[in-house]
This record gives sequence, structure tokens and C-alpha cells, in this order.
Amino acid sequence: MIVDPILVEIYRHRFVGIAEEMGVTLRRTAYSPNIKERLDFSCAVFDSQGNMIAQAAHIPVHLGAIPASCASALNAFSEWQAGDVVILNDPFSGGNHLPDITMLSPVFDGQEILFFVASRAHHADVGGMSPGSLPLSSEIFQEGIVIPPVKLYEAGGLNESIMWMILANVRTPNERKGDLAAQCAAHSVGQQRLSQLLLNHGKDEVCSYATYLQQYSERIVRSTIETWPDGTYHYQDQLELTDTKMATICVSVEIDGSNINFDFEGTDPTLNAPLNTVLAVTISACYYVVLCLIKEEIPVNSGCFHPISVTAPKDSLVNASWPAAVASGNVETSQRITDTVLGAMAKALVDEIPAASQGTMNNITIGGKTADGTAYTYYETLGGGMGAAPDQHGLSGVHVHMSNTRNTPIEALEMQFPFQVTEYALINGSGGDGKFRGGDGLIREYQFMEKATVTVLSERRKLAPWGLNGGSSGQRGKNTLITDEGQEVSLSGQFTREVNPGDRLRIETPGGGGYSSDKNSRNT
Amino acid sequence: MNNRHSCIGIDVGGTFTDFVFTNGLDIKIIKIPTSTDDQSHAILQGLELLSVDHHTSIRHGTTIATNALLERRGAKTALITTRGFADVLEIGRQARPQLYKFSQSKSPPLAPRSLRFEINERVNHLGEIQHPIDTHSFAELVHSLEQNSIESVAVCFFFSFLNPCHEYHIAEFLKKAVPDLPVTLSVDLLPEYREYERTSTTVINAYVRPLVMNYLTRLKEKLNGKRLYVMQSHGGTLSSEQASLEAARLVLSGPAAGVIGAFSVSQQALKTTTPQILALDMGGTSTDVSLCPGKIRQTTESKIGDMPLGLPTTEIHTVGAGGGSLAQVDTGGILRVGPQSSGAMPGPVCYGQGGQIPTVTDANLVLGRLTQTDVRSRKPTRTLNKALARRAIERIADKLELSVNDTALGIVRIANATMERALRHVSIERGYDPRSFVLVPFGGAGPLHACEIAQSLHIKKILIPRHPGVLSALGLLTADLSTEASQAYLSTITALVATPQQLLETIDQLKSIVVSRLSSDSSAPLIDCNLDLRYQGQSYDLRIPLTLPVNIEGIQTAVKGFHIAHHQRYGYSDEELPVESVAVRLSARLPQKIRYPTIQGQRNSSFKLSDCPSTSVCFKEDQPIKIPLIARDQLTFGSSFSGPALVVQYDSTLLVTPNWTARVDQWQNLHLKFHQDDDS
Repeated sequence: MIVDPILVEIYRHRFVGIAEEMGVTLRRTAYSPNIKERLDFSCAVFDSQGNMIAQAAHIPVHLGAIPASCASALNAFSEWQAGDVVILNDPFSGGNHLPDITMLSPVFDGQEILFFVASRAHHADVGGMSPGSLPLSSEIFQEGIVIPPVKLYEAGGLNESIMWMILANVRTPNERKGDLAAQCAAHSVGQQRLSQLLLNHGKDEVCSYATYLQQYSERIVRSTIETWPDGTYHYQDQLELTDTKMATICVSVEIDGSNINFDFEGTDPTLNAPLNTVLAVTISACYYVVLCLIKEEIPVNSGCFHPISVTAPKDSLVNASWPAAVASGNVETSQRITDTVLGAMAKALVDEIPAASQGTMNNITIGGKTADGTAYTYYETLGGGMGAAPDQHGLSGVHVHMSNTRNTPIEALEMQFPFQVTEYALINGSGGDGKFRGGDGLIREYQFMEKATVTVLSERRKLAPWGLNGGSSGQRGKNTLITDEGQEVSLSGQFTREVNPGDRLRIETPGGGGYSSDKNSRNT
Repeated sequence: MNNRHSCIGIDVGGTFTDFVFTNGLDIKIIKIPTSTDDQSHAILQGLELLSVDHHTSIRHGTTIATNALLERRGAKTALITTRGFADVLEIGRQARPQLYKFSQSKSPPLAPRSLRFEINERVNHLGEIQHPIDTHSFAELVHSLEQNSIESVAVCFFFSFLNPCHEYHIAEFLKKAVPDLPVTLSVDLLPEYREYERTSTTVINAYVRPLVMNYLTRLKEKLNGKRLYVMQSHGGTLSSEQASLEAARLVLSGPAAGVIGAFSVSQQALKTTTPQILALDMGGTSTDVSLCPGKIRQTTESKIGDMPLGLPTTEIHTVGAGGGSLAQVDTGGILRVGPQSSGAMPGPVCYGQGGQIPTVTDANLVLGRLTQTDVRSRKPTRTLNKALARRAIERIADKLELSVNDTALGIVRIANATMERALRHVSIERGYDPRSFVLVPFGGAGPLHACEIAQSLHIKKILIPRHPGVLSALGLLTADLSTEASQAYLSTITALVATPQQLLETIDQLKSIVVSRLSSDSSAPLIDCNLDLRYQGQSYDLRIPLTLPVNIEGIQTAVKGFHIAHHQRYGYSDEELPVESVAVRLSARLPQKIRYPTIQGQRNSSFKLSDCPSTSVCFKEDQPIKIPLIARDQLTFGSSFSGPALVVQYDSTLLVTPNWTARVDQWQNLHLKFHQDDDS
């Protein structure tokens, strides 16, 4: 194929544009605040072999995980018709944790499938033992309905039995139905756009450039890795299982020419807790770190990932098998895997790696009934301090690394749920000190009007986010319940409990680590 | 000169201040270099040159508010907010600006932490007072404001859009205690939910207000009693006195005037009040595109840098592709164009001001699409150095292993692709088919790229205004005097239909607000009412017209309109789903008597392409071909020709590519039409 370097750039705009347009549609038509306000979703376009061509960038943890969904669906079905929509959330079959529901649709050119479009959205409830479906579970069955790859639509017709089955297993069926419809709307937009592209430019050209874009991204990633010093670099970091019990994640990063391998040998085995992850999430964290080190803005597609390999011992914390519990692996363990990988990379690339960021997403789920008896579930994650970089202070009160969702506006949540936010503020000085300071964590305090069930999954409550090159560590996070009577109860990093009207839940998120002890040239 | 209905549009841009004067019969255009230290200098200079008398009314588009924000030169601003929420302004929506980057920064908030004050008070989500406002803290607050030499104050309390009594209470106190301190209340500016967006908008207003007020007051004084109207972001003008109170409404007024200009010229040239156009304003560093499906559309989700501005703004999408966009080869061996720009200094390489990296302008020059010297121009243009441009492009051509011409063509095509994506974003992504729209290119460079962009979107008609380079100033002349006000109105449609009384009262209140703002003129303004509707449970609403006076049938018609609009925009609708209202909006306008001013020419078809000199221009192939070079003044009503041809004029250059034919209408606008090649 003779590549026109100009058409490469044009096709890059076209494919990204399609994924972005799918994202806009999903956001605008969704029902749950988690999708429409917090933008907890991703959309992507794949070629017929399941290689990702473009992704609308929102959530890094979906990076390696969306391609896994596509592979799983392709594996499950050999027969496809126009109008098919596959749905899945099974972490052991292409998902990452149950609330993330992925849908996939083929795009036909005549009789031939040329592309797939996919969307993944975090649904605020998929059943299971606690509202919001991020429970303190010990096996997957407690976490909600497990959907293996099945066709929700066949040749354009809704498979109503599957829809009933799903809706019968969740706490807020109407909201789920609306959000699933929004995902379908996003797909039809993506399909239309791709079909039009094929119509205008022909299959040969469109497919050639889809392939070439991947080769192009791969070339840039390889040329960057080649500049890194060959060698093997180790690091380990820890996750808090309880206030006293820790689990260890180990990584050996091997840089060899233009290839990089992440080996998690030595990591603790699968836990009897929801902190396990499937390998796809571990892969996402590794991909994320490499992408951050590419100086140029490149198209994010499967080509970026060819130079990267990830290995992890089977049945370990970072490569769990059925029926391990995985609810918080996606949100919490993914952050610690990132920290661990960064710790190792800091030994190879002293001047490029930042100190540890807050290292948690501070997941809060609240469920119960409003005064009129309607069931609700609410999910929110909180930002914190970003680790200081070798040339820059860390940002305060933002999502770091594997997430970048937004908050729910307080006025929006108070109009919808029977609780209030009484404080939302940065914690001044909670970032680690150094030549460059870590970003500050934040406080969010909720006060309840009605009885409710609250689950919090958070980390870095005992082990502070580390500083780098002599920078101090960031302040640890803290969870507190202040009862209606004014009694302060210190809570652990992970808990589920009932709260009463008047109770206040106060979440303080960690600060980021500082960078360098050399304050002579301190930059303010 | 008879000045009884004379009017002048003055648009201040980064480089030039454009003046368009008309008395309904005659039209005069001048461009004067912008006086950057004080924009009024160039304005007075221009008025003098045009010897405008005091009956002339002035329509002014100013970048003073925009620049104050971009350059951070606004007032020392304090924010007063509900206890517990001083940091809402800084936390924003909690997202980091870039996804894949370890080292990043955000611009600091306009009111720093030390100038954000919390007051004990709380209104709940039903509008009930949960904690009465703590009036005892007011004295200390005033002390802090004075200690910190605060120049402007923003007040934003939670749920003030449901119950504004606490905001009013503190405003009243401040008015007595510190009478000269300007106070902006969120309830006056943007009474809608989402605390961060509302706070940000209120603070933006407080930040730019003293500067804008000062500027407009001084300008007005110097104008010796001439009436001064100022363009606002939503596309209407307002008296300078009213405009200074809500200065944030001026922030995006510049691009708005251009869209109005494009829309007005289209109404006339296409002989319809509801033209379907895609406006394309290509400038030096960026291109603004706007889709007008028979009307000019508005949005309330604009951003200035990373700060949200929730006020109604003409819906414009901006991309980083302009004449000054830099072309570079990345490490993957791919050609990239923009978003970095050469700016005013050093500018494109061909300006000879030290620029080394080639720009889109350099590519156009090398391709022969810009001429080095302007034929028949009234003023000498900048001399463009083609040799310098060629050498710069050669450097990247070597890396790409392409010829210079192919590289230059590539630069133009990539810039076009960026603009194409912008046009897709406002059309296809919103459910509009660009093929049913007329492309209206303007700005200095828009007409140069228009044919190729139109072809890539299968647009078959292009309208080039007579004066594409000063269209914004023309837009100022034709913009209506107008204002708008809104009120959050959360209600199910069922409840609205059952008891429409409260809605009627809200509409009456809003009506008195908008009418009083227009005050001056005797004629009664036209009132438009819109409801923001959504499916119950959604977060994003669509603005649907509501017929006045409001009755149940009118509400039901609006709901039907909502289902249709939702289907058009998002591909589905469901009449079974419950619909709710979010806000009600009222606008009042006094239509301008002056329509788009142009001289109607006599039909004259003596123009012949064969009389024109020729020039060498590159299209697809590497070898340039000879095409006619036309001076725009030669083209008169009835003239017609087929591409390829290059048309040059004082304020712009137009490239008519092969397959396009052009004809001139009686207002001197050029209409281009695409003809499919038989052999393609």
C-alpha cells in the first residue's frame, strides 16, 4: 500500500471523531448521574479482527479492558447480523467489574463485517449484596448480575428475555433501561458514521488507513521506548485490605530495545476480598504509564500496545480467575498497580516519573429509599492530590491516573437523593512537601435525611502516597462518621454500614507525594 | 451626508479595527490598526476619518472583556458563598485537564482562596431556608473586603435560583456599607442549577465588570452624545449602560457578530428569512464555525479557557486551524498542522519577521493561492516573501520525502481536514446533513479554503459575501437590540398542564425584566419564550419555543416539538416517556430597521474571463497550472465565470477550484455552485 502521510492525519481525525460523537450521544441521552454528569464511560471503534482503531479518551482503566471485551465477544459469536448488539459485564469474559457494562455492535459493508463499535458505561447499580454494586464481597456472585457475552439485540430486534432478566436483578431498573438505550443510541451513531465513510471512500482505503494508523502509533511508541535505558527494574507497593492487613504487588519492568515487559511475579495470591483484578485491568495500568511517557499526542489504538507485554501469575491479586471477587480491583487495585509500575519506572527514567498520586478513587455508594419509598442508588468517586512531577507541582482535588470522571454537582444530587453535602473543600497543605509539592486532597461531607446503606472503598488510609527523590509523602486519607448526637467514629478504608438521619459521613482524600528535597531552587 | 438613519459598526479585532458605515444608501469601509493600549483611540480616529456626526448610532463589538480574562487583567475579585463551599470554584468538576500526562497545570481561579469568603446560610433543594443567613458576620466581611482592597464582588449561594432572599439580603447590606463596590449576584445573572458553572459565571462577570464599565463610560463620554450599543455573546446589542452591568455577556461577542453578518447577508442573497447556512470564519490562529438551520442557535455551555460560562452564547465551535497554524513533521514521520500558531509575531515565514516554521499562509503562497502583490488594491498589502516560505516548506518536504508542492498541498489539506471536522461536529454530529446547507466563508482566509472544504462535505453551494474580511462589523449593524433572562423552573409537564398559573407568573416577571433592560426606545419589543425540556431523569435539556400567551395547547405543542428535536439530535425519542421542564427563558428584541447594507448594482454582463491576466496555481497535481486572476472590483451584477480562478480584493482572497461556477448577484455577493465532473 502506498501511504499518503496526509491522509493518515485525515483518517485519524475521522476515526477519533466517530468515537467522540458516540460519547456525546451517550452522555446526552443517559439517565444516571454517573454517566450524564460524571462521564464514567468510554466509546471505541475496532476493526474486524478486534484491534482498537480509536477511543474517545475518558477513562484510562478502559484502555486495555475494552479490547478484551471485543475479543471476548468475537470469541463467543461466529455468526453476526446487522443490528446485533452484544452485551457483557462478566470480568472473566471480557469485562472488568460488574457495574461496567460493555456493548458491542458490528458494522457491515454488504455481507462483510469491517468494523465494530463499542461502548462501556459504569451503571450505578447491577444488583448484588449492597446498593451501588461495589460491595465488600468475597466472591463475584455477591457483586451483582453476571452477564456473559449475549446478544441483547439480534438483527435489530430486542431480545426481551435478556432485558427482563437484567432488569429483574437490579435495584433501579428504569434508570438501567434508559442508560442501556443511551448506549444503543451511541452505537447507531457510530455505525452510521462508519457506513458513510465506507460509502464515500471505499472499503479498501478506509480499512488500509485503519491498519496504517495502528502501525504509525506503534512506530512512535517503539521509538520512545528505544530511548529508555535497557535493564530490569523492580518495585513493590502495598494495598490496604484492612486497617492492619496489607497485600503486596510486585513488578519487574524489563526494557529491551523497543519492547517493554511488565512481570508481576511475586504479587500476593487472590484475596478473599473485592480487591482482585482480572488481567485486563492490570494491562490497562501498564498501557497507561507507557502512554503518559510518549511526548507526542498520538492516536490511541491497539498499535500503541504491541511493544508492551504484561505477565502475571495466575490466580494472583492482579490476575484473578473465576469466581474471585473483583468489584474494587478495577477502581482501587488498578491505582496501586499504577503506583507500583511508576515506582519501577522511576529507577529507569529518573527525570520523568512523578511521585505517587492519591492512589485511590475514594468510591462512595449510597443506597436506600426516598421519603416516598422510591429506591435509589448513588455512586461517586472523589479526587485528591496528584503527585508532584519533576518539573511541576501536583494538581489538587483531581482524579489521578486510572480515572478522570467528574463530580456530581451538589445541587443536582440534592434534588435527586435524600442527603446533602455539607462541605466540599481542599485540604490545604495535605500534599507532600518538596521542591515541587504534591497536590492537596479534598474533603466531602455528606449529611443524611433518611436511613441509608453506605459503602466506601478507599485506600491510602494507612500507607501514605510516597514522595520521590527526597520529596515528602502526601497526607493519608481519612473516613469519619459523625453521628446525629455529635459522636465521631473513625472508619476504616473499606466499610459498609447503615446510617441514620442526621448522621454525617466525612471523607478526606489523600494528598499527592512531593518531588525532590532540593528546595534551593524552589518554585512557587 | 444625510445622517438621520445612519449607523456605524465598529469591530475591534486583534490586528485591525474594522468600520462599516451606512446611511441606508451608501456604505463605507475602513480598517485601522487596533490601538491595543486603549481600544477607544482607534475608534475615535476612525470616526473622525469617516466624519460621523452625532446622530449616528454606534454598534460596537469589543474584545475588552475577553482580553481581560485571557490576560488576567480584571478586577481584584472576591467571592462570597455558602459555608463549606469556598473551594467549589477551584475544584471545578474534579477532572484533570489532560488524560495522559504526568506533569500538568490548571489556570488558577479568578478569585484566589484568600478572597473567597464563606457565610453561614443554607437554602435547601426545595427553596426552603434551612439556616437563616448569619447577619452578624457581615461587619467582619466588609472589613475583610476593604482590607484586601476588593474591587468587585461575586455572590453565589446554594439554591439561590430557588430562593434568592439570602443573596438579596447581603447585596442590600453591601450597597449600604460599601456603595461603590460593584456586586454581582448569581441569581441575577444565571438563576440555574449546577453550583460550579453558576459560580464560575458569576465570578467571571464580577472580574470583568469594572474594566468594561470603565471603558464604556469613558468611550461614551468621548462620543459627544452619540448613541452607543454594545454587542453581546448571544448576538444582540444592548445600550452601553445596561451592557456594563452584565459584562460577562460581552465575552464571546466578537465571533457572534460574524455569524450575524453571515446570516444577514444570506437572508438577503438567498432571498429567505430562514437560510440554512454553515458559517466559516477563518482567521489567523483559529477558525470559528457555526451552523444556522434557518436561525442563529445559542448554547449555554461555553468555556473561556477552562472556565465555564453558562450564559447564552451564539453557538460557535472553534478549532486551532488558521492562516498562522504551524506545519511540522512528528517523530512518526507524519505531517501535523496546528494547533500551535505563529501568532502576530513572528507571523508566517513569508512575513519576513523571523518565522522559521511554515504556516498554512506560507503553503498557500507557495501554491500560488495567495499573490505577492495585490492587483488593483486600494492600499498596498504586506509584501510576502515567497522564497522564504518555499525554503521553510522545503525543510519539511525533505523529511517527508515529498516535493515542495505536494507538501504545501498537504499542509492545506490537513488544515482543511481540521476545519472539516469542525463543520462535521456542528452539523452531522447534531443530526444535520451539511449537504442541505450553504457554506458561507469569511474572514481573511475563509474564501481561500471554501471550495475544497465544501467538496469534502459534499456541500454544493457557497455564498461569498461582498466584504468577507469585515463581515463582523457588518453583522454589528444588522444585529437586533436584544436581551434575555431565564429562571430555573423544575416541573413535570403533567404538573405544568394542571396548574399553569405559576409558570404564567414567572413569565410575567421575566418579561418585565427584559422589557425594562431595553427601556430607551418607544416601540414595543418582540418577546420570545423558550422552555428547556428533557426526559425526566436526563441531565441535558433542549430549548423549545413556547408560544405566548401561554396556554395548555401551547405547552403540549412545545412537548411535541421536544420529541421531534430529541429525535433529530440524538436519533431517538419516546412519546411515552415523561417530560419535565428545567428552565424558562424570555428574550426581548427590537428589530433593526437597517438591513444588511449593500449597494444594489445594475446588471452588467460585460465581464470576460479571457480579459483577465493569469497566474500559476497548484491544485492536485505537482505541476502548477495557469488560471485567471480576477480583481473583485471587476465583478458586477450578472458577471459569471467558471473555476479555476483566483479572485483578489482588499480584505480577502477567493480560490474558485475546478468544477465550481460563480455568478454575482445584485448585491455583489458571489454565488458558487458545484458541478460534478463527468469523468469522475
